[in-house]
Amino acid sequence: MIEILQWSTLAVCCAAAVARIPSALRGENRSLFYIFLLATLAILLSIDGPYVAIDSVLGGTNITNLILRFIVFAVIFFIGLRSMKAFGAHQYRRWLLGWPGMLVFGVISAVMILFFIMMDSSGSSAGLAGVARRSVRDAHLVEYYGAAGRAYPAYVSLVLLPAIAKAVASRLPVLVRVGALLLGIGGASLTVSLLFPFIPPQWSSLKFIINYGAALCFVLGLAVFWTGRVRATRVAARKSSTAQ
Amino acid sequence: MPLPAKAFQRWLQGIAPEASTADICRISGVKRTTLAQQLVRGKVAESTVVAISRAFNINPVAALATFDAYSDLAGGQLPPTAAELVSQIATMDLLRAVIARSAAAAEGTETARATPPAPQLTPAPHATSVRNWVDAIDDGELRHRVSAATGIAPQNYSAQLSANRLTPELAIATSRAAGTGLTGGLVATGMITESEAGWEPGARQAALDAMSDGELAALAGDRLQALGKTLKRQEQDHEETRTIWENLG
Repeated sequence: MIEILQWSTLAVCCAAAVARIPSALRGENRSLFYIFLLATLAILLSIDGPYVAIDSVLGGTNITNLILRFIVFAVIFFIGLRSMKAFGAHQYRRWLLGWPGMLVFGVISAVMILFFIMMDSSGSSAGLAGVARRSVRDAHLVEYYGAAGRAYPAYVSLVLLPAIAKAVASRLPVLVRVGALLLGIGGASLTVSLLFPFIPPQWSSLKFIINYGAALCFVLGLAVFWTGRVRATRVAARKSSTAQ
Repeated sequence: MPLPAKAFQRWLQGIAPEASTADICRISGVKRTTLAQQLVRGKVAESTVVAISRAFNINPVAALATFDAYSDLAGGQLPPTAAELVSQIATMDLLRAVIARSAAAAEGTETARATPPAPQLTPAPHATSVRNWVDAIDDGELRHRVSAATGIAPQNYSAQLSANRLTPELAIATSRAAGTGLTGGLVATGMITESEAGWEPGARQAALDAMSDGELAALAGDRLQALGKTLKRQEQDHEETRTIWENLG
């Protein structure tokens, strides 16, 4: 079940990235292509098989997990940046780009790297499951490391949610509002993921659903905006051609 | 409130006993699928009755009056008030009237007020006719009374006005609550024409001519201001949408 979710999320993400290639070549909103590309990479690295394969190439020390975390940070940062410009939420700009934003990013990254160094990270396993099983100390470190990894995406989501909620409630075209709603659900899921330590172990599949659900919502939301723009430009082109 | 299909069939039997459904649709221009769907659901839209009665040269108001829900429409209606008539003149026509009058006034100082040919008014309804009509008959408490009488939430009522819509049921309830002729709202929503409602031809023009220059200028000013607000809001929405497409599309 979870495998299906993982691979279908990967497929959707990959399809979105491939679909953006022509417009990226034309130079339209290239950053969205990179967002899709990085997101595809992140999802690929979060799945067991590809993770182990790539990590063993990189030395089998689970350094891939750390790379994955920073890829996720990058994806969420760029989505945040584009959304902030798109929704005109300039008053929140400093919370992402200004010194408060940079401080949060720096502290979380430093803490995350520190926990990674402190744990005995040898032996590739996705989600560091193998490392956590090694000793109580490592289990705790993996827990803290994971929490730090979820903190930055949750932080960016919290910064964005007010502007997104405003767009959802607005009188803007339906596709804009649907796209914003999907981004909002994705952001809310990332925020909820901060509560993972409180989820009882028997519901651990809920974690996967929230994580991949958030990724799917972001990708689908961006795809909806894209569809909306393509349609809007097509309608505009048709109008101007009939006007001539 | 849509009309029960049974009563509709009975009415149809009365006006065109020979005609098949296909004939009815062909003559009236109602889509066959639309009518079939309405009959299956058991609810026939008022607009269907209006279209069919027009095709058979029956006054739509009289036709609606044969149904229980609209029995109040039977018999003579109060004539429209001057404010109602003026509310059904399009904003651009009002502005044209302002210009025509000022031109006439400028010439009038030299020649003996040669009345210019009045520009033909565009037929009702216009882009904001529903809200303008409600405003014209509103004594300040009208919306409260309509929502008390029909149970519609004030924000839903106001949303319909903003969309320049009003269900026939609410249009009549509004007239009733205002104490005006019951067909005014049906004209404002475009359900029936002025003449079908029994408005005298040229009644709107006469009501316009009866306005003093001051009244006309003030009304045209109000309308222009409302138009400006709507346009500005549309432009702002458009701009916001464009920014979103540019950054996330």
